[in-house]
Amino acid sequence: MSKPSLIALNRRGFLAAGAAAAGTVSMPWVAGAQAKVVKVGFPTILSGRVAQLGTSSRNAAQMEVEKVNAAGGLAGRPIELVIRDTKGQPQEAARVARELVNSDGCEMLIDAEASTGAFAVHEVARDLGILCIHTNSETSSLTADPKLRLPNAFRCARQGIHDSVVGGSYAAEIANAKNLTRWATCSPDYAYGRDTTGEFVMYLKRFAPKVEVISEAWPKIFQPDYTESITKLLQAKPQALYSCLWGGDLTSFIDQAAIYALFTQMQFYAVNMADYTALTVVKNLPAGIHSGNRYIKTFPATPQNAAWGDAYRAKYGEYPTNWAWQNGLVINFLAEAAKKANSADGKKMADALRGLTIASPLGADGTVTMRAEDQTIIGYAVGWGTTIPKEPYVPEMKSVPWQRILELEAEWKKDKGFT
Amino acid sequence: MDLNALTECLSSTSCMVTQATSGFIIGMLLFLVAVGLTLIFGVMKIVNFTHGAFYMIGAYLAMTVFQMTGSYTLALLGAAVGACLFGVVVERCFMQRIYGGNVLMQLLVCYALVLILDDLVRIVWGPEFKSMGMPDAFRVPPLFIMGGVVPPFYLFLIAAALSIAVVLGLAIARTRFGKTIRAAAHNPAMVSVLGINTGLLFTGVFALGCLLAGLAGGLAAPVRSLTPGMGFSILIESFIVTVIGGMGSILGALVGALLIGLIRTFGALGFPLFTEALMYLAMAIVLIVKPSGLFGREAA
Amino acid sequence: MKRPALRDGLIGLAAFLILAALPLLTTSSALVDFVIRCAALGLFATSLNLLVGYGGMVSFGHGLFFGMGAYSFGIIMQRTGMPIPLAILLTLGVAAIVALAVGAICVRLKEIYFAFVTLAFQMLVHSMIIAWVPVTGGDQGLRGGIPRPSFLGINLADQKQLYLFSAALLVLGLMAMRHIVSSPFGYTLRLVRDNPARAGFLGIDVYRTRLTAFVLAGVFASLGGVLMSLFVSGAYPEFAFWTMSGEAVFIVMLGGTVAFLGPMVGTVLLLLLNDFVTRVAEHHGLVLGTVILLFALGLRKGLLDFVMDWRAARRTRAQAGADRPPGPNTIAGTDKMERVAT
Repeated sequence: MSKPSLIALNRRGFLAAGAAAAGTVSMPWVAGAQAKVVKVGFPTILSGRVAQLGTSSRNAAQMEVEKVNAAGGLAGRPIELVIRDTKGQPQEAARVARELVNSDGCEMLIDAEASTGAFAVHEVARDLGILCIHTNSETSSLTADPKLRLPNAFRCARQGIHDSVVGGSYAAEIANAKNLTRWATCSPDYAYGRDTTGEFVMYLKRFAPKVEVISEAWPKIFQPDYTESITKLLQAKPQALYSCLWGGDLTSFIDQAAIYALFTQMQFYAVNMADYTALTVVKNLPAGIHSGNRYIKTFPATPQNAAWGDAYRAKYGEYPTNWAWQNGLVINFLAEAAKKANSADGKKMADALRGLTIASPLGADGTVTMRAEDQTIIGYAVGWGTTIPKEPYVPEMKSVPWQRILELEAEWKKDKGFT
Repeated sequence: MDLNALTECLSSTSCMVTQATSGFIIGMLLFLVAVGLTLIFGVMKIVNFTHGAFYMIGAYLAMTVFQMTGSYTLALLGAAVGACLFGVVVERCFMQRIYGGNVLMQLLVCYALVLILDDLVRIVWGPEFKSMGMPDAFRVPPLFIMGGVVPPFYLFLIAAALSIAVVLGLAIARTRFGKTIRAAAHNPAMVSVLGINTGLLFTGVFALGCLLAGLAGGLAAPVRSLTPGMGFSILIESFIVTVIGGMGSILGALVGALLIGLIRTFGALGFPLFTEALMYLAMAIVLIVKPSGLFGREAA
Repeated sequence: MKRPALRDGLIGLAAFLILAALPLLTTSSALVDFVIRCAALGLFATSLNLLVGYGGMVSFGHGLFFGMGAYSFGIIMQRTGMPIPLAILLTLGVAAIVALAVGAICVRLKEIYFAFVTLAFQMLVHSMIIAWVPVTGGDQGLRGGIPRPSFLGINLADQKQLYLFSAALLVLGLMAMRHIVSSPFGYTLRLVRDNPARAGFLGIDVYRTRLTAFVLAGVFASLGGVLMSLFVSGAYPEFAFWTMSGEAVFIVMLGGTVAFLGPMVGTVLLLLLNDFVTRVAEHHGLVLGTVILLFALGLRKGLLDFVMDWRAARRTRAQAGADRPPGPNTIAGTDKMERVAT
């Protein structure tokens, strides 16, 4: 451990000996500059239809901040999250992000925005040159496209292409075994939906060359009624259906499709199903939906992961979401980067973050790495499995070794002209 | 564009039946919301932007009652009555102050109420999306009618909405209340000269509109996820419906709602990426050709 | 005619000088950001008021031109290395053409139907922005930042200079609109608003008058869009969504439709309210809604209109001792002419 944090620990230990429990110490216990908190701006969506994105992101981040602060904060300086609602509007995201830095004195940003907002905050990061970590945008191009890349911007979230590689190989294996050749897709009509679906199909066809997509439905995001898409799919009579609908849209779709008995007629591959918010909300979850993992406390099947999920649940009364783990993890990354850089300075931490590998219950092998070349995380748990209607919901997850994912990702990048 | 799929469907009965019934379902729920909107506009000459909020309240109430009692009938009743009572309160406290005023001021008040109601729902039921679940009675396999797939719940839904449409149509045509409504829509000054209590009449019409919106929310609750702000998209679609059908016309609301439902289901086949825009296109065309809507009176 | 123009010019100059001096007084860059946003939304809202207040045409689709401005400018800057002033002029030209086409269809319609058909066009354009991914970037918006090359020694990548630039455009835009509403055309427009039939008898082409107002409003709205795209360094489909139009209607209502600067007051008010409330309250819908409700039901008109009427009422009382009837609409109607005439 580095020197200043040792000193910090000693001082804290000294104080703790005289005072109460150590866990809550984030008060001005050291005089002068060192005691100054590091303000971290946290623009996110706390109102409207996806308010849950913001609340669960905030919860997880706060939970981890408490731990990090108890252990001395960032190079001896406790973290203070400054959380602000952007209402899911990109111009508000840009405005709030600027304000957090310019008038609230935040020294770095955790951008817990959905994709459009994330691109807006990305431009703010470009303008202000401040350390910024995106935690909720899964759109691959945010970090993969070299035209967008910034030395000071990182992503601590899933990336669509990784999910698609794993999903495509998982689905292809079943398609080959059961001779499922006629496929359909039903995904929300926006960038995430189109990209993710396209990539999934690409890998599916690559590993199962006989597959053919015979019908596509593109409902709008947040559309309340999917009946038209459902009947369209029924007409096409595919053997399997892929969807990257998520959240309330996915549960609506399932509720509506169930009364058409859609799930008895085709296999259903829903990448966003295995998230507790969706799993617990659907009252009559059809058995045997194939899903990618979002956050599930049994995958990776380690005591650490289960403990993390349970701790979150004990604190907030519900299981973590996919957004939650990403925002918890980012705090761990910040803490480790500060330790490595021996400083809470954004520039130095950015240098430390590049290529940093940290231990995490959410890593496929117990660690997650912030890849240096495009500043996005790899090595996190990605898997697919079939659901059952009760806990543990997805008894068995299948994965693809990260090495293989990375090879395929590299090829994809080449095709896209990103490298 | 995928015109092949559309022509293929138009030549197959099973596809026609499936798509048409699904269009009806979307249309019927829309109708229940839109008819209240159109009535309120017809009588009070006010564009009620809060209408979607009552749909939302109905859906949430239905879910809560259903979870407490397990009875879908009670849930529907709770949704309708609850939304209606809520409507009375809102009308008495706020709406009455803005009748006949500046249109923009009416908008402003409605907008404020929507903000407040959405946040109240968020406080009471939480920000995350909910799902009510299908009542046991309807958890049965779908029927096959002339080769088309029709879920029993949707048959119930269409039947319920259609009977409401008929009852409403008859009530407006035959009863004293209905005649007063028609008279008020035609000439409000005359009605009050005739000694009819317009305040009470307005409250009644507003409450009726809210009741229907709440009922629509209750009917939709088993199949649509509930979120704060869910009233918003149905509100926009209902506006399109009322504008196409003609503001103030019940028949217009019915025809407009079915039209939108069918545009959605058949549009999804032929123009999968352009379905939403088709609705706006339909509205623009109707407005340009016949500004008062298909069944609207010219002077409306 | 000459004297008011001179007076407006002086007021404009003074306003610009005050705005220019503001950053000298404080070091807060939040204030700089605030004024830039005020400039963008203020131009947008004031342009809407050309239609709503002066033309009697309530548009629900005005965001179309705001979005149009942001996107055209952004796309031009990203794809060509054009100097910024030229790109702005080109953007205004594009907006004018689109407004002419849309307006030609819309302005024939009356009241609520006009509102809905403008909304429909806006949503069509919004759908197009989302669908036309290669050009607009689809729902992710224009990404990668908008290049801001220096021109005439002005570097808009610098926030301070962008601030001065925005303040200047705001003042110029407002003065231009002020000039329009106090020109003979402005009077014709009000006449058409108050009594189209009579205007027709007087030989005024009602359709053309309305269409001209629609195009002018569209052009100024797109200027607001340009500023917004410079501020966020991008353009997003939300700019052309109906909520944007709703916000403008809302601003106009909040500030007032009668007084020329009403929408500006509304902009400042809404932004202050929004920024403050999102900062302090988790349930800002509840707080914001309540404040608006109190406002709307308490004042029953925009803030600046309320203040002006109150002052006017006091003055007349003081002069004649006569009592004016408290009917808000009648007062507003008569005052409208007086105030703009002075």
